[in-house]
Parts: sequence; C-alpha cells; structure tokens
Amino acid sequence: MDVKLTENKRVDVLSPVSLKPRRKGFNVMPAVFIGPHLLLFALFFLIPIFFGVYISFTNWDLINTPEFVGLDNYKEILFHKESTFYTQLHTGLGNTFKFVIFTVPACIIIPLLLASALHVKPKGSKWFQAIFYLPVLFSISAVMIIWSMMFNVSFGPINHYFSSAPNWLGTQPYAWIALVVVTVWWGIGGNMIIYQAALNGVSKDYYEAASLDGAGRIQKFFHITLPSIKNQLLFTVVITTIAQFNIYGQALMLTKGGPSSSTTVLLMYIQQNAFGSGQSIAGIGSAMAVILGLCIMVVSIIQFFLLREKK
Amino acid sequence: MKKLNISTLISFIFLLCMTLIWIFPLAWAFFSSFKDEVDIQTYGFSMLPVHWVITNYQDLLFDNSSTPVAKWFMNSMIISVTQTVMVLVVVSMAAYGYTRLRFKGRDWLFSFLLASMMFPAVVNLIPLYKIIDTLGWVNTYWAAIVPGAAAVFNVFLVRQFMIGIPLELDESARIDGANDFQIYTKVTLPLIKPVLTVVALFTFTSSWNDFLWPSIVFNDIDRMPITPGLQLLQGMYVTDIGHAMSAALIAIVPTFILYLFTQRYFLQSMSLSSGVKG
Repeated sequence: MDVKLTENKRVDVLSPVSLKPRRKGFNVMPAVFIGPHLLLFALFFLIPIFFGVYISFTNWDLINTPEFVGLDNYKEILFHKESTFYTQLHTGLGNTFKFVIFTVPACIIIPLLLASALHVKPKGSKWFQAIFYLPVLFSISAVMIIWSMMFNVSFGPINHYFSSAPNWLGTQPYAWIALVVVTVWWGIGGNMIIYQAALNGVSKDYYEAASLDGAGRIQKFFHITLPSIKNQLLFTVVITTIAQFNIYGQALMLTKGGPSSSTTVLLMYIQQNAFGSGQSIAGIGSAMAVILGLCIMVVSIIQFFLLREKK
Repeated sequence: MKKLNISTLISFIFLLCMTLIWIFPLAWAFFSSFKDEVDIQTYGFSMLPVHWVITNYQDLLFDNSSTPVAKWFMNSMIISVTQTVMVLVVVSMAAYGYTRLRFKGRDWLFSFLLASMMFPAVVNLIPLYKIIDTLGWVNTYWAAIVPGAAAVFNVFLVRQFMIGIPLELDESARIDGANDFQIYTKVTLPLIKPVLTVVALFTFTSSWNDFLWPSIVFNDIDRMPITPGLQLLQGMYVTDIGHAMSAALIAIVPTFILYLFTQRYFLQSMSLSSGVKG
C-alpha cells in the first residue's frame, strides 16, 4: 500500500501542473538534482570513513572478510615496544610532527612577508605575484624530480654555488632543511594571495591615526596589520597545518624517508602496510590512519581555540 | 614622500631576490632538459647546455616502453577532462537543489555535508581502495575520475555563489511555464559561469596533480596518469638529469598553459574561498 501511495504521488508530482505550486507530498526534483552528488558522497566519502574506522579494529588483508580483534591493533602500535609497527608509528608520527613544526611557521611568515612587500605595489608586482604562485600549479612528483636534481651532490647547482658541500639528502639536518625549502617553494602561493587580499581590506585610516601618534613601521605592523588580518591568519594556519600533516610526496621522492628513516613519515608507513609488496596489513594501516586523522582533527581544534582567545 | 620611496625600493629588491630563487629551479630544469647526458657527466654543473639536444624529449615521447610518457600524458588528459566535466554537472545540479528547491531537511542535510569536511580524508584511503576494487575499477580511468566528484567543497562554493543570484529570474521563467530542468539549464547555468570556471580550473589542476591516490589504484604502467608515473621514472633515471627534467617539464606544461591564460581566475578564487571562511 505504502509503496503504491508514493508511486501515485510521484506520478502526480511529475506532471507540470503540480510542479508549480510545490506544496506537500514527495517531490522527486530534489532527488534528481542533489541525488547524484549525494550518492557519490555517500559511496566514496562517508561510507569509507566509517568503514575505515571499523577496519582499524580488525585483522584484514584487503581480500578476505575482516576479522574483528577489538583494540588489538591500537595496543600493538601504541604500546608493544618490540613490535615493528610500534616503531613505525612512533617514527612515522614523530617525523610527521617534526615536518609540521618545521614547515608551518615558514609557510605563514614567508608568504606574509611577500604579501606585505607586494602590498607597497613596487614596479612589476603583478609579475612577482604570478611567479610566486606558479609552483602551486605543479604536481608534487614533477617538483620533486626538479628539486632532487637541484640538491644532487655531483652536478646540482646548490653544491656548485655554495662552497661547503654537504650531502643534502643523505645527512641530517640537511635533509630536513631540503624538505622545508622544497615545501615552501612549492606551496606558499595560496597563502600569499590570501594575505594580499587581507591587507587590501585593512582601512588606511588606522595607519594614518597611528602615524599621527608617532608609531613606526614595525609598531604599525604588529599593532595594526596583524590584528586586522587575524581571521585570515587563523584560517591559513589551520589549512596549512592540515595540509602538512598529509606530508607524503616530498619525503617519498626527495629524501626517500632517509637518512635511516629519519624522514619517513606516517603516511608512507600506512601506504606500505596496506598497499606495499607482500601481504596487506590493512587493519594496522587503518589504525595508523585513524591516529593520524585524530591528530589532524585535534590540532585544528586546538589552534582554533588558541587563536580565538587572543581576541 | 621620500619615506614611501624607500619602502618601495626595499620591497622591490626583496621581491626581486625572492623571484630569482623561485625562477632558478624552473630555468635550470628547462635548460637541463636540452642537455646531452655525456656532457653532464663530463662537465658537471652548468646552467646552459654545452650542446643543445632534443634527444631527451624524443626518447621519452616516442621511443620508450618502460616509461611511456606520451601514454601517461594522454591518460592524465582523459582523466582530468572527464573529471572536470563530471564535477561541473554534478556540483551545479546539487547547488541548484540546495538553493532553489524546497524540501524537508534541506539545510540540515547541507550542514551535515559541511560538517563532514572536518573528517580527515586519510582515514578513507584504505576502504576506498576496497570499494574501487569491488567495482572492478582498479587500473581503469574510473578509479581516478569518480571519487573526486564526491568532494563537498565545490558544492559549497557554487551554492554560495548561487545564493547571491536573485530569485526573480527563476520565478519569471517559472511563470512562463519553465520547469526546473529548463530553469537550471537556461537561467541558472549561464549566470553561474564565473564560479563554474573557477571550479573547472581547480578540478582540472588538482586532478592532473593528484599523486597518492592514483599511485595506489594504478599498477599497470600503461594505464597510469603522469603524476604517479613520474615517481617510477625518477627511479629509472636517478642521475640522468636530462631525461628526468624533460619528463618533469612535459608534466607541468598543461597546468602552466592553463595558468598563462586564466591567471586572474586562480588568484581571484583563492581570495574568494578564504573570504567566505575567514
């Protein structure tokens, strides 16, 4: 009965006359318009998220039915010191955190400096802006091919121009420096544009008033500019941190995780465990992914509140 | 007035130095792609090629089966273009639904979609592979095309733009007897072209540059797109700078050309998306 009723209504609604008033009853139009996206969203985003959390509580090889093991995966990677997965999680997560701590400040400060310099509108600022943004358009793998050659010891320009010649990618702290340099070069364009727009929005009156009070350029920057663009700073800190937590390509292609796993990041271990050669250990991989995911969520929440309190 | 000139000068010099740092890798990559392998081994570092050759490009494009760069390029093109078209259709229809159609729970549903963006995408990597595998899409274009169309952010962006368009236009069309499909295609689509351009450019470039996901769902060398392909290539040309650089440059050509012609959309859209959230 129920089915028939709705079917009747559907037919009714589909006729052009009843479309106009759009009163009660089931309307198929919403389903037609939002349905395709909602279906894709459910199948390729929502279900995999829940499935992913569930998998982290199972023993799974990607092929057979997952076998529920409760908290075993988490116990193993968090507390079993003799397990390789314990070492992987601690090394991988530690290196991921290091990467975030090294790159995020640089990815905020350098574009802010660039945007401030561009804000003065010197000659050619359109060109400068276009060039700083350019690498954003390039894939991580193309950029890493170029930069791994840049750091090459025997014929790379960096060792050619600087007299002291460290093995950039093979020794610390040079490997970390290389990763930070590359990440800054590749990805600051977006933040720079955001800051440019933000600086344009700061009223000139504030600066004039400050000048009358005898404030210097640096004082103006810290007391007027920074507070005025606080929202955009918060926004970029959050999106940059989240982006850097997903570090994968740079470490994989530039330092190959080395020297001796000192730059192997968690996403590399997750990929290796789930999709590497040999039998898949998707359960452990999922547990690691959940932990990484939680870090991302927690950090963005903490940042949000910290920057909010400073109001 | 004098002070202003000093700060302009300092800014100019600072920007000029930074620009040189930014351009140098690209310039060196460009010149190196025309270098002869033997010259590199003999002379070590040089900015310009000793002898200009195009053999690196020829080898990669026409004479290579272990790193089929031309094939990868075509695969990437098919994937990125198809995904862009698919996203435009799906997203604009969804945005129409969330702004122009009235139904129970509409705004609640949209808030839920927005909130879901908080979930970190790393968690769905492994299950998503299983779903793609179940659908039989591993090593097919679909694996790289379809999941990307599920993103919520594009719907958010288009919806935000559509809210700013007055409803009167829809209503007058409706009085003239147009149904929702007609309003969507004849009234709405032409009006939201600016935001759709932004979505199209971003979808194309992010699809072209996607790295982790395609490197998981493609293991057949002939089927993979160029971005994960370059990682394989890097392993084969570890010290062969000429070939490696030409491959990298081939891979960045499409987005570079796109940027040359549509720069203002890219720059404008960044401030658009931050303005909304910031």
